[in-house]
Order: sequence, then C-alpha cells, then structure tokens
Amino acid sequence: MKAGKISLQAMRSLRRYRLRTSLMMLGILVGIASLAVLSSLGEATKRETMQRFKNMLGTFDAIIVRPGGGRTRGMPTLVNVPPTLRFDDATAIATELPEIKAVAEVQNAFDIDVKYRERSSSPAIFGVSPNWLALRSEEVADGAFFTPDQNTSLARVAVLGQDVRSQMFPGEDPIGKTIRIADVPFEVLGLLKSRGAGPAGNSLDNVVLIPINTASRRLFNRDFLTMLIAQVKDPERSTEATAQVAALLRRRHRIQPRALDDFTITNPAATMAQVTHAGSTLTKILTGVSVMALLIGVVVIMGLMSIAVSERRKEIGVRRAAGATRPDVVQQFLFEAVFVSLAGGIAGVMIGWSGMQLVTRIQKLPPILVWQPFAVAISLSLAVGVVSGIYPAWKASRIDPIQALRS
Amino acid sequence: MIELENISKTFTRGEHGIVQALKAVSFRIASGEFVAVRGASGSGKSTLLNILGCLDLPTAGSYRLDGEDVARHSDQQLARVRNAKIGFIFQSFNLLPRTTALENVEVPMVYDQGLVDRKRAVAALERVGLAARASHFSSELSGGEQQRVAVARALINNPALVLADEPTGNLDLNAGREVMALLSDLHREGRTILLVTHDDAVAAYASRDIILRDGSIVSDHTHATRLVEGTR
Repeated sequence: MKAGKISLQAMRSLRRYRLRTSLMMLGILVGIASLAVLSSLGEATKRETMQRFKNMLGTFDAIIVRPGGGRTRGMPTLVNVPPTLRFDDATAIATELPEIKAVAEVQNAFDIDVKYRERSSSPAIFGVSPNWLALRSEEVADGAFFTPDQNTSLARVAVLGQDVRSQMFPGEDPIGKTIRIADVPFEVLGLLKSRGAGPAGNSLDNVVLIPINTASRRLFNRDFLTMLIAQVKDPERSTEATAQVAALLRRRHRIQPRALDDFTITNPAATMAQVTHAGSTLTKILTGVSVMALLIGVVVIMGLMSIAVSERRKEIGVRRAAGATRPDVVQQFLFEAVFVSLAGGIAGVMIGWSGMQLVTRIQKLPPILVWQPFAVAISLSLAVGVVSGIYPAWKASRIDPIQALRS
Repeated sequence: MIELENISKTFTRGEHGIVQALKAVSFRIASGEFVAVRGASGSGKSTLLNILGCLDLPTAGSYRLDGEDVARHSDQQLARVRNAKIGFIFQSFNLLPRTTALENVEVPMVYDQGLVDRKRAVAALERVGLAARASHFSSELSGGEQQRVAVARALINNPALVLADEPTGNLDLNAGREVMALLSDLHREGRTILLVTHDDAVAAYASRDIILRDGSIVSDHTHATRLVEGTR
C-alpha cells in the first residue's frame, strides 16, 4: 500500500525532472542495446555453426573413420585415399563392438558426369549402405530409398539431392526416369529432403546416392571404402567407443604397437566442443565490452542521482517532516533508479532489436530470432537500477530534515 | 494536550564545548490554544520547535503529545507521530518544486496507512480558498498563495498540533495578514496552534505569549486575542 504510493511519487518526480531522467535513460540504453545486439548475434552465430555441422554430419553421436593416417584436407574420394579401409572392417566394427549401434559404409567420388537426355551435371556420387538414411536422420522428400535387397542384387537405382533435381529435372518429376552416371543407366527411386548449407556455406544437396555394392562393382570397381560412419549407442561414452574402434582397426590392420595408425578417426562430439569453445570465447569478449558499457550506465545513473539528492534536500526535508521514515526515503530514490534504468533497458532492447533487423536486412542475413539475450538484458537493467540507486538512496535517507528545512 | 517537563537540549559544538540550547523548559498547552513563542535568535525557539515537531529529541526531560510520551521514540515512531499528529508551516513555504498545489497537499497522505484521497486534498484547498488553483504549479503561485497551500498541506491529516515557524516572514504585509487571518480562523475552529515568531504584531494574533531567552522561559501569559476583527 505505502510502497505503491511511494512508487507513484517516484514516477512523478521522474516526470518532473525530464532532462535528468532522459540522460539517465540514455546512460543505460547504450549499454543494454549493445549487450542485447552483441550477445544475440553471438548466440545466433553459434546456433548457425551448430546447425551447419549438424547438416553435414546428420547426427552428433557418430564416429567418422577415414582411410590414411595423414590428416587429409577436404573431402576424401576414391582417387585420393589409400585402399586400407575395407568392407569387412565395417562389418567387424558393427558386429564386434558393443558400444556401436550401426555402421554405414561410404564410397564417394566427384567429377563424374551425370546425364539426363541433353542435360548434364557433375554432382558428388555417394555409394552408401541402405542404413544411411536412418543413421544420419535424413528423410526422403518424395519416392523411396533403396532397400538392402536392392543393395545385395546390385540394383542400378539412385536417390537425388535437391540441387541435382532442380538442375536436371526443372519442372519435371524425376521419379522413375533413367539417368546415366558415367554412361551407366540408373533409375531414379527418390528425392532427398534438402539439407541446407555445410560449415563452409557450401550446399549439401548436390549429391546422388546409390547402393554401395552397385557403386563398388558396377561403377567404380573399387573394393575399399572412403569413409565409414559408426553410430555409438551412448553419446556420453563416445570417447570410449572411439578408442575401441581404433584398437580394433589397429589389430585388424596388424599395426605394430609403436607404428602410426593407417586411418583417421574424427569424433564429432569433440569437434563440436572445439567449435562451441571458439564461439564462447568470442561471446565472452563481446559480453566483456557490453559489461563495460553497462558499468558506464551505472556510473551515469549513480552520479546523476547523487546530484539529484543534494539538489532535492529540501524536498527530502519536507517529506520527512510530513512523516516519511528513512526507509520510505530509501524506497523512493531506489524506485526512481530502478524505474529509470528499466525504462532505459526496455528502450535499449527495442532499439537494439530494430537495429539488428535493419542490419540483417541490409546484409541479407537470415533473420535472427534469438530472444534470450533480450530477456537477460532487461533483468540486467533492473540490477543496474538497484546497484546504482542504492548509494544515492542511502545518502538521501541520511539527510537531516532540520538542516534541510532551515536553508 | 502538550506537556513539556524539564526539557533540556545540549549540543556539542567542536572545541568550544557544550552549548545548552534549552534549560529545563516546562509548560503545558491545552487543546485549542493558540500560542506564540517569541524570542531573539539564539534564544532556543528553533530548538524548541524541532522538539515539539518530533524532528529532534530532547537531551533530558519528558514530552507528552496527545497522551503519548514521545521523548524516547525511535526514528520510525517519530515519523509516524509527525505524520498523524503534527502539521508544519514553514517560513519559506517549502512546497515541492514543479509540483501542483494539489499534489503538494497530498504529500502527508503518502506516508499514512490509507489511500491518497484526492477529494480530501481538494477539500483542504477549498478550506484555504485555493480550490481554483489546484492544478497550478507552486512556481505559478504568489507567496501568500504558496503559504496557504502549505497550510492546507499541514491540515490534511487532521493533526492534533499545527506548528508554524515564522509563517509571515517571507510575505508582504497583506499576504501576511491573510495567512494570519487563516490561522485565527483555524484557532476558532478549535485547532491547537503553536506559532514561533519574533514579530510582535504576528504574536498578537495568539491568545498566549511565551517568551524565551537563553534557553529558558522568561514570560508566559495569556491574553484576549486582538486584531481578530477587521483583519479582512
């Protein structure tokens, strides 16, 4: 009741001293706006990076094994990897290791001509095992994926990525049509759902998937893998699973204890941790800058409030004579500081939000819909109000009404 | 109504030691009295006013206000007593700047237990003849009008005691007469008023005259109120 009446007094006196109020709001507004913009940009960047990694990998609970010990740059293909990773390695990992749920086999190549009537293109050709879709949590947009039977019988069937479809079948239904991959005819079975962009911003939809046995025997004539993907049962134990896979492959490849691996294992969980760590360093720097800006806001409000308190000594004296207790005086000035910084914070958030929309529109970036930093910014401005108001409010309550009223 | 018994107040002033502002002052004021306290500056009248107004505590002695012993009250208790039982009128009016007459009158209602009753504030302004000025800012009012707003503010919580400290000190003769006429009216309505002044003409409005010198009462006598007629 009394607090409500005092808060009304606080609002009225903010309205009375408009210039001071707007200066205080400005002090907090800049910090809050920059905090909101920078941290939501950081958050949005982090999410975008995560999303792109997920687009490429399909899942984060898989271990990727590539042939060759050297760290090859870029995508391995049939022409640049040693023939050390075999089909039976994949089978052994899938059957012998209890930590592994499933293994997908991959043979891939680039620069192979794909033709449909007079149109031609050269997408990435992926020979994959039939469990590919489930393992990478991808889906077919139209038609069907090939079956284990089709893989065993070396069926010449293909599933197209969205880019291939739009290049080679503009305005035409590709299902059931026959394409020629390196002059071998394949029937189009289905269409993949779009996967969007990878970590480098490249499209992940310029692919043709065919059964791996067909690829191995009818197209590439190679009996080794370019990659295998082992899905772990428990993502928490992916480090142990990685070690088991490495030990098994070393045993199978008869590698001496001191010799180097002839394969490379990537643990996406570990990669992801690195990526997010790099992101969080950036976020920390940006947050540091914004905290500085907020501190300036605190100093501005505290300074202006302290000046206000000495200028309003007489008012404080009158209020004390009229029956205001010291806590009542503290309350009024604290309310003033909190209201002003909350108002500045809300204005800062609104300005930050619209500024960000403007930037994304001009830069043609995807719209950023991260609201959490804005909620944080508003609660921070509340905290700023309390922190910067507490000292001036205490000072106001210590003013002797007798002295204040005499002058 | 008001009972002061052996009220003393001493201040320590740096190296000069102790200053005794009030020396065992005792008097009683009955309900409905209009008392003027006179004295030269340094006589202790401001100190007495601060103690009567519960803004300050005596060093020794007892002070009963409206049956309540306030001499040993805490800061919070004093604030409550000021709010409920005392109305202040100051020499320099002390209205809040950039604030309307009405909002000024409402200030004491902020610190009591009830709601801020706007109708009561309007009625108080009517009582001092300023209802038409309710929405004027204090800077838009003349000195006399400002002091009448201050009187309305002093009355708003229906106090047991109205304390006026040189209420005409900053006013010209006419405005001063108007304010004193208003206080006389309040007296006739049964208010208890204590007026501090060094002006004999102002003191003449009161029905009792207390003179302080060097912290002690040197004269205390009751007389018929004068100049009540013909002030308007």
